Amino acid sequence: MTSTSNPKVPEKKDQVHRVLLGKKQILVTEDEPLLVQLERAGIHVEYQCREGYCSSCSIKLLWGNVIYPFEPLAWVQSGYLLACCAIVKSDIEIAFFD
Amino acid sequence: MSYSTFNRKHFDSTKEPMFFGENVNVARYDQQKHPIFEKLIEKQLSFFWRPEEVDLSTDRKDFQRLEEHEQHIFLSNLKYQTLLDSVQGRSPNVALLPIVSLPELETWIETWSFSETIHSRSYTHIIRNIVNDPTKIFDDIVTNEEITKRADSVSIYYDRLIEMVNLYNTMGMGTFEVPGKGPIEISMPKLKKALYLTIASVNVLEAIRFYVSFACSFAFAERTLMEGNAKIIKLIARDEALHLTGTQHMLNLMASGKDDPEMAIIAAECQDEVRQIFIEAAEQEKEWATYLFKDGSMIGLNAQILGQYVEYITNVRMQAVGLDTCFATKHNPIPWINAWLVSDNVQVAPQEAEISSYLVGQTDNSLDDSDFDDFDL
Ligand code: FES
Ligand SMILES: [Fe+2]
Ligand SMILES: [Fe+2]
Repeated sequence: MTSTSNPKVPEKKDQVHRVLLGKKQILVTEDEPLLVQLERAGIHVEYQCREGYCSSCSIKLLWGNVIYPFEPLAWVQSGYLLACCAIVKSDIEIAFFD
Repeated sequence: MSYSTFNRKHFDSTKEPMFFGENVNVARYDQQKHPIFEKLIEKQLSFFWRPEEVDLSTDRKDFQRLEEHEQHIFLSNLKYQTLLDSVQGRSPNVALLPIVSLPELETWIETWSFSETIHSRSYTHIIRNIVNDPTKIFDDIVTNEEITKRADSVSIYYDRLIEMVNLYNTMGMGTFEVPGKGPIEISMPKLKKALYLTIASVNVLEAIRFYVSFACSFAFAERTLMEGNAKIIKLIARDEALHLTGTQHMLNLMASGKDDPEMAIIAAECQDEVRQIFIEAAEQEKEWATYLFKDGSMIGLNAQILGQYVEYITNVRMQAVGLDTCFATKHNPIPWINAWLVSDNVQVAPQEAEISSYLVGQTDNSLDDSDFDDFDL
C-alpha cells in the first residue's frame, strides 16, 4: 500500500483518507469537513450550528490528524474533534459516546 | 474591596484573571487575554434579530385547534422558557459584571445578557398572539408551584454569588452575620467557589434546561403546528448555542488553571458538586417532563422520550466540560431535533443526492493493523 506519509507523494487536495468507526470504514477527502462526508455515508452525527460554535458535533478522535481551516469558536476537548469543521488529514479512528 | 465603575489604577488587563482581579477601566478590545470572548461578541452581534420579524398569524389558529392537554404542554413549556430568560436577561449582568476583570469578557457578558432580553420580548410576542389575556399566563409563572420550583433551582447559585459579592464589596473579607441567614464566610476561595458553581449552573440552564424546552417547541412544529413559534425558538436556539459555548469556555479555562491557578484548585475540589448540579438538574427536568405530559402525551413526544433526551443531552454537556457522563442514554432519542436546531442559513447535506461514493463498506474485514503502520498512534 502507498504510504500517505511518503514524502515523494506530492500533497494533493483530493487525498483520500480512511475513517474508522467501530467496524465501519469510510473514505473521505480533504475537500470538505468530516461531518458532510459521514452524513453522505449514511452515518448519523449530531449537529446544530454546522459552523463550529455549538460543539454538538463533537466526536472522539482515537488517533490520526485533523485540522481546522478556521479556528472553531466552540471549545474542543482534547481527544475530540468537531466534525462540522474538521478536515481529515490522515487516516483516523473516531468513536461516538461510550 | 469596593467596586469602581472606572478603576483609576494603571495595570495591564491582559495579565488579569477573568474574575476577581482588578475592576475593568478602559473598555478596549485591541488586545485580549482571551480572544474567544471577542469572537463570541462578534458572532452574537451578527445574529441580531427581532421577534416582530416572525409572522405568527397561523399560530393562533393552530393553538385553538390543539387538544386541551396539548395546550397545557405548549403553555407550560412557554412559561418555563419565559422564566429562564427572565433570569438570564439580568443575572449575568448583576452577578458577573461587578467581579469581571477583562474588558472583552465584560462586554461578552453584556452582549450575552442583552440577547436574552430579545428572547424575553419574543415570548410576549408569542403569548399576545395566542391568547387574549397574557396576564393570566405571566401571573402563573410566579404562582404555579411546578414553575416556581424551577425558579428556585435556576436562581439559587446566582443569588448566593450576588449576596457574597455584595458582602465582599461592602465589608471585605471575614465572617458576617446576615439577618435570617446566619454567618456567611467571605474569603477569596469561597467567592471563587461560588462563582465556579454559578457558571456551572448557568451552563446547565442554557445547555440542558433550554434544550429540553426546545424539544417540546419543535415537537409541535414536527406536526406542522405552531410553526411561527418554532421559527422564533430556532433563532433563540442559535443564540443559546453561542451562550453555552461561552460558559463552556469559562469553565474549561478555569479548570485548566491557564487563567487563574487558584481557580484550577477550586475547580478540582468542587468537581463532585458540579457533577451533582448536572445530575440534579437532569432529574428535575425529568420530573418536569412528567408534569408536562400529565394529562396525555403528543404524537412524537412523551414523558419517557423527553426523559431520555434529558439524559442524552446531560451526558453531552457533561463531557463538554470534562466531566464523566452518568446516564445510560448514549443516543439522541429525537434525532429530528437537529434539523430544527440548525440555522436557516446553513445548508444541510442532502442525504440522498450525491451518492455514497466514499462509502467503502459497512464492514471491512480486509483491513488489518499493518495498513496503519505508517501512522503514529
Ligand atoms: S455542529 Fe456546531 S460545532 Fe459542529
Ligand atoms: Fe435565552
Ligand atoms: Fe442564553
